[in-house]
Amino acid sequence: MIPLKYYLILSAAFFSIGIIGVLTRRNAIIIFMCIELMLNAVNLTLVSFSSFFGDSSGQIFVFFVMAVAAAEAAVGLAIIIALFRNKLTINVDEVNIFKW
Amino acid sequence: MMPMKNYILTLTIFLPLIGAVLLLFINNEKKNLLRYFSLIISVITFILSLGLFFGYRDNQVGFQFVTKFEWIKSLNISYHIGIDGISLLLILLTTFLTPITILSTWESIQTKVKEFLFFFLVLETGMIGVFASLDLFLFYIFWEAMLIPMYFIIGIWGGENRIYAAIKFFLYTMFGSLLMLVAIIALGVSAMNQLGYFTTDYTVLKTISSNLLYSTQLLMFLAFALSFAIKVPVFPFHTWLPDAHVEAPTAGSVILAGVLLKMGTYGLLRFCLTLFPQISIDLAPYLSVLGIIGIIYGALVSMVQPDMKKLIAYSSVSHLGFVVLGIFAMTIESAQGALIQMINHGLSTGALFLLVGMIYDRRHTRLISEFGGIAKVVPIYSTILLIVSLSSIGLPGLNGFIGEFLILIGTFKSSVLNSYWYAAFAATGVIFAAVYLLWMYQRVVFGKLENQHNKDLKDLNSREIGLLLPILLLIVWIGIYPSTFLNKSELSIKNILKEVNPTKVELIKK
Amino acid sequence: MENNSIQNILESLNYFTPELALMLTFFVLLLVDLFFRKSKYLLPAISLVGFIVSGYLLVYTPDVKGFLFSTGMTNIGLYVIDPFSFFFKILILLAMIYTILFSLSSKEINEAGGNRGEYYVLLSSFALGMFLLTSTIDLLLMYLSFELVSLSSYILAGFTRNVKRSAEASLKYIIFGAVASGAMLYGISILYGLTGTTNLYLINFYLSNQNIESLPLVIAGLLIIGGIGFKISMAPFHFWTPDVYEGAPITITAVLSVASKAAGFALLIRSLKIMFIDYTATNLQSSAWAILSQFKWNELIAGLAVLTMTLGNLAALWQSNLKRMLAYSSIAHAGYMLTGFVILDNQGIMAILIYFFIYLFMNLGAFFVVMLIADKLGSEEMEDYTGLGYKAPFLGVSLTIFLISLTGIPPTAGFVAKLYLFGALIKAKWIWLAVIGVLNSVISLYYYLKVVKNMFLRESEIEYSHNLGHGNLLITLSLLIPTLLFGIYFKPIIEFAEQSVRIFGF
Repeated sequence: MIPLKYYLILSAAFFSIGIIGVLTRRNAIIIFMCIELMLNAVNLTLVSFSSFFGDSSGQIFVFFVMAVAAAEAAVGLAIIIALFRNKLTINVDEVNIFKW
Repeated sequence: MMPMKNYILTLTIFLPLIGAVLLLFINNEKKNLLRYFSLIISVITFILSLGLFFGYRDNQVGFQFVTKFEWIKSLNISYHIGIDGISLLLILLTTFLTPITILSTWESIQTKVKEFLFFFLVLETGMIGVFASLDLFLFYIFWEAMLIPMYFIIGIWGGENRIYAAIKFFLYTMFGSLLMLVAIIALGVSAMNQLGYFTTDYTVLKTISSNLLYSTQLLMFLAFALSFAIKVPVFPFHTWLPDAHVEAPTAGSVILAGVLLKMGTYGLLRFCLTLFPQISIDLAPYLSVLGIIGIIYGALVSMVQPDMKKLIAYSSVSHLGFVVLGIFAMTIESAQGALIQMINHGLSTGALFLLVGMIYDRRHTRLISEFGGIAKVVPIYSTILLIVSLSSIGLPGLNGFIGEFLILIGTFKSSVLNSYWYAAFAATGVIFAAVYLLWMYQRVVFGKLENQHNKDLKDLNSREIGLLLPILLLIVWIGIYPSTFLNKSELSIKNILKEVNPTKVELIKK
Repeated sequence: MENNSIQNILESLNYFTPELALMLTFFVLLLVDLFFRKSKYLLPAISLVGFIVSGYLLVYTPDVKGFLFSTGMTNIGLYVIDPFSFFFKILILLAMIYTILFSLSSKEINEAGGNRGEYYVLLSSFALGMFLLTSTIDLLLMYLSFELVSLSSYILAGFTRNVKRSAEASLKYIIFGAVASGAMLYGISILYGLTGTTNLYLINFYLSNQNIESLPLVIAGLLIIGGIGFKISMAPFHFWTPDVYEGAPITITAVLSVASKAAGFALLIRSLKIMFIDYTATNLQSSAWAILSQFKWNELIAGLAVLTMTLGNLAALWQSNLKRMLAYSSIAHAGYMLTGFVILDNQGIMAILIYFFIYLFMNLGAFFVVMLIADKLGSEEMEDYTGLGYKAPFLGVSLTIFLISLTGIPPTAGFVAKLYLFGALIKAKWIWLAVIGVLNSVISLYYYLKVVKNMFLRESEIEYSHNLGHGNLLITLSLLIPTLLFGIYFKPIIEFAEQSVRIFGF
């Protein structure tokens, strides 16, 4: 059996990749994909803990996270489309009306 | 005490505010009605405060006309007011100067008359409230609430640079007073640790503050003193004053110099000394030195000012240096002198500002170089200016002399300062004052009448003479027979000094 | 067993009526919007009725003695009703009602076209989410309600989607928000891993009875504080705030700055207090952060509070857009309130509650006046406000009073708020923090005065006249009077806050 540690390290790696992606990528869609990656890293942690404890609440949590992630993606894409109609770009560097 | 009597003080405080609110219902266009109305309100306030003056028993120790209502029960904050001889005289000064100042704006304020008078009356309530509060929380509210009307008075009706001056004034005072707020809360909390309940009542805090750790007391003292020192202003916190004075309209300058600055010295005398007696004695030399630096610095800078108003503004720094010195010399003479000097400064500097304002209304300039030889054109003006200048210099027989003389004698005798040098250096301030004021007088009034614009200057009209006369009367009165006023405050001053240091006060009894 | 939990859930519903009323409002709005698109007043009226009914039910719900929705296995459920949540729910409802009233006269909202229905629907789901946030004691429900609030507010922020800056604000908001909630979720998962439960009380139980490695706990705590910190725009998670506040319709800005921040604070206080307090200690003061004693949490929060208020105030100094300035000022106010959180005893929490209550009136008031003027003037730039105080005296004076209150100068209510906050700090011997707060107030004075200066101290020849309707006049007055009155007579708020510091189980 694969020890719990491995799952945790994997999910921490996913989470970090997600964070780095959000910080470095400029395409709004890719940023959203990275956010999804973060959420899935969390899901992995929850599931592995849940099976480790033999407690179901972690897995239930995962279902909710997935549902919310889907909702978030839907709202996010809608917003991206609205922005694209206005500015004809989804590059976040060009989303710059606001300055300091 | 009769209950009716107690309400006089509350009424004196809030009558101007009520007047200000009523003012809002008068039509904007009826400028004269607005003016007469606020004049009447301020005169009634003055009459009420005369009631305080005559009702005050100068042979009684402690606060009189005390009113106390519960306000915020959970914090033991109460509406606690009362006066002793010191606050009595300062309240009187406030109510005396306000109608005169309102009268002085008759012609000079033509725009937004209603707003101006509104702010002015609100200001009066704040000022009287500051002098009458016996609860530090209440004190703080009056103290801060006053900033807003003054900000607008400078900012709306002031000169060219008014916005800069108004903001500077506001920020400086706000900075100091917020630190004071921290100290007030800290005092209340330490009251809670000692007595079991939070309170900001001055009479209670007085009894507990000296039990605190020395370092705590020192920090609290510094917070209070800084706030007051900015208001006075003690050197080196004076930089807001010239700007505010020069830019403020005449009436604003008069009240600023006449009353607002006194709140700083009043605070030092009332709160710093009695709340932190030990610290006050220990720091007295340093504060006195700052006072002396103020005296000399203010005088020297005054000498080189080309602008009359700026000259008088800097002379305030000098005069109030005397007051600070008098307070921290901690003898009866010096403290009495400091109090009378506060009144004097209010009268003579107020009058000087009025006089400068009057000539500014005629010529729209205050530069000394623009004038010269106007003695023949405006004889009445020149005479009054002379009397007031002499009073400010401290000529024997006029009020300024009494204050400065008492302060110097007291400082000389002071066992807290314990050195002749303080008095010696301070005395140079008197000489410098003679130099800068007489020199200004000479350049403005005497000499050849060269500037064409001055040829047809109009002399003072009856309204202007009428508003200056009461001040002149008091200038002479205090100069000849100061006991009318000194008697009122003697016991209170003695009392404060006794609280600070019983042994040293007994030693130098008159 | 099975029966028991169903019984319990049914019983719990009796206490859940205010939330149910909000849900009902949500569905009714959704349906009505389908059929009566044209009517201008129907939707806001329904929302108002919904909120008021919910408020009525809230006031008449008995103070529950147990947990709601417990599942039989344990006695500890998902949800509590206590005076603490009651306070925040009242606050949120007030803010929501004002928002609806503001929306009625907002040009932005009324010109947004046919989808005004969504606006009110989302507002009610927003309110529901915040209600849940203030009462939840389970990490799962916490996450769900957090997302409900967030998702509704993302859309609301970009509601006027034809306006470029609105769409842009919305995008920034959702990116920042999603990352923050992801981080919080990761923290939750670690916490779940450490304790094996998602219930706050059980977490506390495990944490205090088992020896738990401190590093993962610290990481989890940081991630959760960070996630919630995003909602209350705590530095360094505040970057979205100015952009979103400026870009969103002003009614939404107002509600975000008050209600959503209040919900965030309620969540922050409740979750950290329940999770990390040491029940066994008798002294509340020292037990507040007891379980996390290896790491100096209060000092970290104090540092963040200082950072938040200083950044907010300093950035506000340079703003020329009034809405953006108010956004930075609201960051600064979050900083002030965080200082109360540092102490985390009853005094500190009470100070936060008082602050919020007063902040509600003054901040909403400021935003409302800015909205009225912006609708007429077509600009939020401070330069365009020059001389406005004389053209629209009532609005000018009101805005001045709100701003003075935000600065904290007596005799306005803002002073009382600051007084209690600094008082609590001094009492808990955090004097340096109080002094920094005070210095920050001086900085804030400068930029608030800048507005007053432009309105009153400078003259201009702009043509501007404002004919306030009776409705708007009343709304302004209803915000103005408390702002002044509570400055002089603040006994009622103090008492209300005093009763409301009781968190369930304490």
